[in-house]
Amino acid sequence: MLVSLNWLKEFVDIKIPPYDFGEALTMSGTKVETLTVVSENVINIFTGKITKIEAHPNADKLIVCTVDMGTEERVIVTAAKNVFVGAIVPVAVDGAVIANGTKIGTNDFRGLLSYGMFCSIEELGMNTDLFAKEIIEGILILPENTPLGMDARELLWLDDVIIDVELTANRSDCQSIIGIAREASATLDLPLAAFATYTAAESCNQIADYLTVKIEDPACPRYVAKMLKVKKIAASPLWMQVKLLNSGVRPINNIVDVTNYVMLELGQPLHAFDYDSLQSQEIVVKTTAAKKMITLDDKERDIDETMLMITNGQAPVAIAGVMGGQNSEITEKTTLIVLESANFNKSSVRLTAKQLGLRTEASSRFEKGVDPELAGIAALRATHLLLEIGACEVIEGLIDVYPRVEALKKVSLDINWFNAFVGISLTIDEIANMLTRLFFTVEKISDHVLDVSVPSYRLDIELKEDLAEEVTRIFGYDMIPGTIMGGETMVGGKTPVQKFQDALKNILVGQGYYETLTSSFTSEKRLLGLNSQLEDNLIPLINPLGEENSIMRNTLIGHQLEVISLNYNRKNPFAQFFELSNTYRKNTKPGELPIEEQKLAISSYGSADYFELKGVVELLLEQSGIKYPEFIAGGSDFLHPGRKAEIFVAGTKLGEIGEIHPLVVKNYELPKRCYVCQLSFEALFDCASLDHKFTDLPKFPASNRDLAILLKATIPAAAVATIIRNNGGDILESIELFDVYTGAQIPADYKSLAYALNFRHHERTLNDNDINPVIDQILGALKESFDAQLRE
Amino acid sequence: MELELKQLRDRCLADLKAVCELKTLDNVRIKYLGKKGELTIALKGMGKLSSEERPIIGKLANEIREEIEDNISTQKQSLEQQEIEAQIREESIDVSLPGKKHQAGNLHPLTTTINELKEIFLGMGFSIAEGPEIEWAKYNFDYLNVPHDHSARDLQDTFYYEDDIVLRTQTSPVQVRVMQEQKPPLRIISPGRVYRSDEIDATHSPVFHQMEGLVIDKGITMSDLKGTLDLFAKKLFGEQTKTKFRPHQFYFTEPSAEMDVTCFKCGGVGCKVCSNTGWIEILGCGMVHPNVLQFCGIDPEQYSGFAFGMGLDRITMIKYGINDLRLLFENDLRFLAQFK
Ligand SMILES: [Zn+2]
Repeated sequence: MLVSLNWLKEFVDIKIPPYDFGEALTMSGTKVETLTVVSENVINIFTGKITKIEAHPNADKLIVCTVDMGTEERVIVTAAKNVFVGAIVPVAVDGAVIANGTKIGTNDFRGLLSYGMFCSIEELGMNTDLFAKEIIEGILILPENTPLGMDARELLWLDDVIIDVELTANRSDCQSIIGIAREASATLDLPLAAFATYTAAESCNQIADYLTVKIEDPACPRYVAKMLKVKKIAASPLWMQVKLLNSGVRPINNIVDVTNYVMLELGQPLHAFDYDSLQSQEIVVKTTAAKKMITLDDKERDIDETMLMITNGQAPVAIAGVMGGQNSEITEKTTLIVLESANFNKSSVRLTAKQLGLRTEASSRFEKGVDPELAGIAALRATHLLLEIGACEVIEGLIDVYPRVEALKKVSLDINWFNAFVGISLTIDEIANMLTRLFFTVEKISDHVLDVSVPSYRLDIELKEDLAEEVTRIFGYDMIPGTIMGGETMVGGKTPVQKFQDALKNILVGQGYYETLTSSFTSEKRLLGLNSQLEDNLIPLINPLGEENSIMRNTLIGHQLEVISLNYNRKNPFAQFFELSNTYRKNTKPGELPIEEQKLAISSYGSADYFELKGVVELLLEQSGIKYPEFIAGGSDFLHPGRKAEIFVAGTKLGEIGEIHPLVVKNYELPKRCYVCQLSFEALFDCASLDHKFTDLPKFPASNRDLAILLKATIPAAAVATIIRNNGGDILESIELFDVYTGAQIPADYKSLAYALNFRHHERTLNDNDINPVIDQILGALKESFDAQLRE
Repeated sequence: MELELKQLRDRCLADLKAVCELKTLDNVRIKYLGKKGELTIALKGMGKLSSEERPIIGKLANEIREEIEDNISTQKQSLEQQEIEAQIREESIDVSLPGKKHQAGNLHPLTTTINELKEIFLGMGFSIAEGPEIEWAKYNFDYLNVPHDHSARDLQDTFYYEDDIVLRTQTSPVQVRVMQEQKPPLRIISPGRVYRSDEIDATHSPVFHQMEGLVIDKGITMSDLKGTLDLFAKKLFGEQTKTKFRPHQFYFTEPSAEMDVTCFKCGGVGCKVCSNTGWIEILGCGMVHPNVLQFCGIDPEQYSGFAFGMGLDRITMIKYGINDLRLLFENDLRFLAQFK
């Protein structure tokens, strides 16, 4: 919200420099984002009245103006087209600087000297967004009654500082000059000036002859109407326009400007209806069955029966709290106006504005909440201003439909509790003083308890904690000491699962893998690219950001492939990645949240092959204390049918590994060979044995035997190893496959697997008599299972 | 005989001198001292000597044997020495040639940031709590004191799976779960993934990360909040870091604050990183709202506490000077590999 410092100073006598004021406001809870002088550069621009215009003897496009500067006359040569005799304009004199920093001096225009220059809106440094195109293009013509020789900085508030404040959602009462002024007053401990409102000479109720108001919906807690006779619809006075401009609001005419002025000043949105166009003597606030309505901005809006309307009893004339209707707009011909100062329920306005896609200054204020008490004051303030600027005459009487006046809230504050809660020690008087500065009414009911009455506009204050914040922010958060928590000592630390996650990541990093971070979203299309049917356990979102992000992912594979594809297409020749992240799927149990399962995906391309990746997975498993994982051919359809395996440990499936299917390679624009592995973290953790126990070092030597086994090429090596292990007895310490041979020396379709077997007994040295029977047993079993034989 | 022995000795010593390789040294030893060596054979002839001559010659023979053995041993040492020297000469390398490549990867910078934050809080006795990302709306909003008509609940702001199930918009529901399931005293942090319906750009992402913290105990004060978070800031950004607490508003806390830290880049004088303010906004915090304590079954008259929350993606970007949030999610190796 933009706040004019000059306007603010009309309420609070702020003497400190703007920057310090901004800091003080920020530290008391009104965050100041920026402080901007309207027009930093401009100097030496004064008002002057054109008294004579002559043609330039040497140039068709130039004119020569004589200008009355109040104390002197000055000749200005200009090409401007919109100036005329009698016009009061801003004149940059010798030594002036205009907004863009250009210095103005005396210049020769085709043989005639110009002692300065007339200025446009832009040259004055004013906000060009707030003026019509024809005004921006010409010289700024000032109102007729503008004094001559006056400094434009002062007249047009070019030296004003615009404060951009960020308000928090709870402080709807600060959405106005008066609201910020109250904060300034409390923060700086300075008095707050009052403002003038209209007071009727005597109670007389002329308005009743014109209008009645009915509220038929509780979404309107209060409706105040004031009627005025229009004297003349014209531009509002310059001082009012300038305040609107410095608040970022475009001046329109005296009536509309007053409604905007009061909204900016007090925070109460107002609306003016053309009485005659209402074509009725009543205003009824209700919902209607109407389907269409044209609003003030000439747009047709689709309205419905959920939206609160201001009606003339039949048809809507305004969308309550959002925007007026074109049918009751103030025009040149308006003679009577109805000034609406009403209160509307914040959710009602929010939903209507949202549905219409129409957010206005009024709706955004109502959405945050407006104090119903304000409606009466604002109507009288606007009446006062309309009379003061000579726009209207009053029709005596005020309509005020206010079915339920809320009592002021009271909160009691125990200062002992307060001091203990904050960790400071203020006296009851200090606390009472700070609350009073914030316009709370405070009553001391004991030596440590205050009864605090909350002003009606403080919709946010309900509990003693709220008051604690009020006192603390005025006291100053920076004045609170920092202490180290007392209480019970707490050990804290990581759980075994958290430690295991770290360990897995560290192993992979050590092996040259880079951790990725990918989004949780996927889509049907992305999933179908994995050469698989859509599973029926997917979690689709009701309101996704686009189709490609419409489903919560149930696998990490797609994202790993997208990462590979990106890197491959950016000419990174090889890479290895991993990610430990959640996947999501439906919960079949009714009434429970979806299942989130952490998975570990590992992928590589460009350098490694299947066995390289498998080696890393085996290392991970070994480091997790997992013995004898089984890699059994098989797995999902995104994998190469001849190069994929499912990983089991003691019957539990951990995941799968393999090369990416050529079809998927095409779908995802991947390098020809990519390898991935995906493991269930939970299964991995369940199988892991992370306790390390010391066993005595062997005292007796091991005996090694090499066995070369000849068997059909289709038999998986893992199955052979299992047979060897299962038949090795207690003395078989380890087996290692050290060679796989296929070729000329053995029959086609056969392979030779060479194993190194390590035998050891922990109580004695083994000899052939111990080992030979075991070897025979192994060979026998291999022959039986696979028709395998010892290769000579 | 005596002469014979002396000649033998001289021959042997001359042979020894001529030896220039360790393996031939043994040949000399065998030639003279071996079972069939010259000295051995010569000594076998001692039987023919008279009893007067025998001890003299015997002594001489022993002296010669010792002398030869000494010489062999000396020669051996010297040859070994030469051999090692030769080996060293031969094996010298250009130590400035590049080492053999070993590939290490690294953690994602976000993880590194999270790890750093975790370590700081673990050191203060906090535990790490986790909870579902797909969460009941009531945990994400109601129990956190978010008003029923608040726009954060709108479909434009929050992703919905079902009418009452959302993608959590903050990690605060974890705090609710912890408060409901455990008894105070509590000290937890909850880092995690959160979601808001923002189109991705340089500073926004529909998927991002937060870490929140919660302390509940008897007698926890606002000044504990300040002290704890000030210590945290100093540990994260350095000893010289100063903090500034500004009043703010959150539904979850009352009183609430935002904490700024002095810009770690310029030390507070103003630079591009801090938009010339000297300060960087780091986190939101406050005393846990009594309504929230009550929703979670904790008596606000007995217990108090504070909570804080920060954007991890933002802190990562600030820490490493990353100017576009999208880089974090893109995973270009040339980006990832910068964080070894
Ligand atoms: Zn800086």
